[in-house]
Amino acid sequence: MSNNGLKSGSNLEKVLRAGHFAFTGECGPPKGANVEHLKEKYEHLRGMVDAVNVTDNQTAVVRMSSAAASALMAADGIEPNFQMVCRDRNRLAMMADVLGVYSLGVRNMLCLSGDHQKFGNHPQAKNVYDIDSMQLIAMVKKMRDEGKFLNEEEIDEPPKMFIGAAANPFADPYEFRVYRLANKIDAGADFIQTQCIYNMPRFRDFMKKAVDMGLTERTYILAGVTPMKSARMAQYMAKMVPGMDVPEELIERLKGAGKGKQSEEGIKFAIEQIEEFKEMEGIAGVHLMAIEWEHKVPEIAERANVLPRPQID
Amino acid sequence: MNDSFEPQILAYCCKYCAYAAADLAGSMRLNYPSNVKVIQVPCTGRVDILHLLTAFEGGADGVYVAG
Amino acid sequence: MIVADRKPLEEILDMIKECNKILLVGCKGCVTVCNVGGAKEVGILAASLKIARKKDGNPIEIDEKTLERQCDPEYVEQIRDIFDQYDAVLSMACGVGPQFLSEAYPSQTFYPALDTKFFGGAVQHGIWEERCAGCGTCVIHHYDGLCPIARCSKSLQHGPCGGSADGKCEIAKDVECIWDKIVKKKMEQGRLEDLRTIRAPKDWQTARDGGPRKSIREELVQ
Repeated sequence: MSNNGLKSGSNLEKVLRAGHFAFTGECGPPKGANVEHLKEKYEHLRGMVDAVNVTDNQTAVVRMSSAAASALMAADGIEPNFQMVCRDRNRLAMMADVLGVYSLGVRNMLCLSGDHQKFGNHPQAKNVYDIDSMQLIAMVKKMRDEGKFLNEEEIDEPPKMFIGAAANPFADPYEFRVYRLANKIDAGADFIQTQCIYNMPRFRDFMKKAVDMGLTERTYILAGVTPMKSARMAQYMAKMVPGMDVPEELIERLKGAGKGKQSEEGIKFAIEQIEEFKEMEGIAGVHLMAIEWEHKVPEIAERANVLPRPQID
Repeated sequence: MNDSFEPQILAYCCKYCAYAAADLAGSMRLNYPSNVKVIQVPCTGRVDILHLLTAFEGGADGVYVAG
Repeated sequence: MIVADRKPLEEILDMIKECNKILLVGCKGCVTVCNVGGAKEVGILAASLKIARKKDGNPIEIDEKTLERQCDPEYVEQIRDIFDQYDAVLSMACGVGPQFLSEAYPSQTFYPALDTKFFGGAVQHGIWEERCAGCGTCVIHHYDGLCPIARCSKSLQHGPCGGSADGKCEIAKDVECIWDKIVKKKMEQGRLEDLRTIRAPKDWQTARDGGPRKSIREELVQ
């Protein structure tokens, strides 16, 4: 499949290949089979982003499967970025789901380790971790490029996925983070979406290292942005979310905005970030994770001047 | 528990101090209640959880380790 | 060694509630070393059970015996003459013990007094930690002697994940992130390049995932 040299032909891939500043969104499937609820969420994102990440039992809380929600979105004309974690499936189920979602029109996927089930609403569950995120990336690449399953058997119609991976520049040990990113690129990550960024100095340093190592020549890095709704949310994330770096200055800035104006201040900060990312060397786009705030995405996209989204055939 | 309840207490006493003190008290004709039973041990370091449990199993209401 | 914890007294009392006379069997192997199932702990459990039952007005008779090991048929034979004198037998060995006992004495009922937990060692007096997952294919040399299969909450072969913070695992502040240790050790030794290798997915056939396992040493088989 030549496909103009594209690996998957997904919209996200085309946008990135064409050199546009990509803008992706996120949508958590409902805690139930309520398709209307799912639609309501993703409709806010229509036309605003190049692809929508569909989370996979995010924070280990059971929801409609990311595979089904991704397929529903694809059928409704919104490009999904199917997330898959290593916590819940072994390699058989993973390969089967990759084939399944591909057959239903999904062309992007994000390969993740997944939060440990201890965080979630079924901490009693057995954790699978048959393979890890690095091996998942390599497996999906093998399926796509070699047309083979892990066991070397031929795949009848290989799934042509645009392969994504996550990077968290804020987890420890910091010195190793850029090497882990390099490993993911070696394993086959076509694009990277980072953890939510709040500590800009540290992220600038991380990106400088990535650029110096030549990593940004080999993959597209989308910077993760989650607008803070309030100083309380910022405090919660700083304290409770492992691997999240929320500087005290940001919390103070949100507090300083005063009651009723904190969410606006949070959005302002997010827009400033997006503006900086547009100029930052090695950054190919922004991944906007407006958690339970999908309806704010059009406003943020508008104010960040990322509209209209490019249409590429 | 009524007022007439008299707990049975078992006391493990170190040969060199607590037991010696009890001995001295005896020679001074001081009384101690009859529901306290004293067992001499070479050192209270020798008293093991099993000694405590065996006492309770045997009917003691309280165990006293003195040393 | 195999590390176990004693089951709560209430759970054991409930198991043996119909019994009036039991045999409590300890083991001088691993569970003696980790202070949970040796002669001393047998004595403590027997006394505790007797006190509890006496308090309930339903006294129980308990005989105590501690075997050399409960995972060897020759030592399991040591209760051949007495096993049928009891309503049940309570084993204070790891999970292997009550199984070897019940295989040797099919007519008797055996109960486990311990919860068997992991392969590990004592890191300080009274604290044991897991070190090995018994996966059947040792790979610790790739990680400078620190096993991510047993010690990473996600058994990651390419860690640390994004949840590693201050050397701790995302699941709890008192759980160390083994990948933090692996990376730091490699950095100290100037061998970070070792961690730039993408490893093939692990073959779990040698682990429990491949079904119950057996080890046969031909030269010893008679």
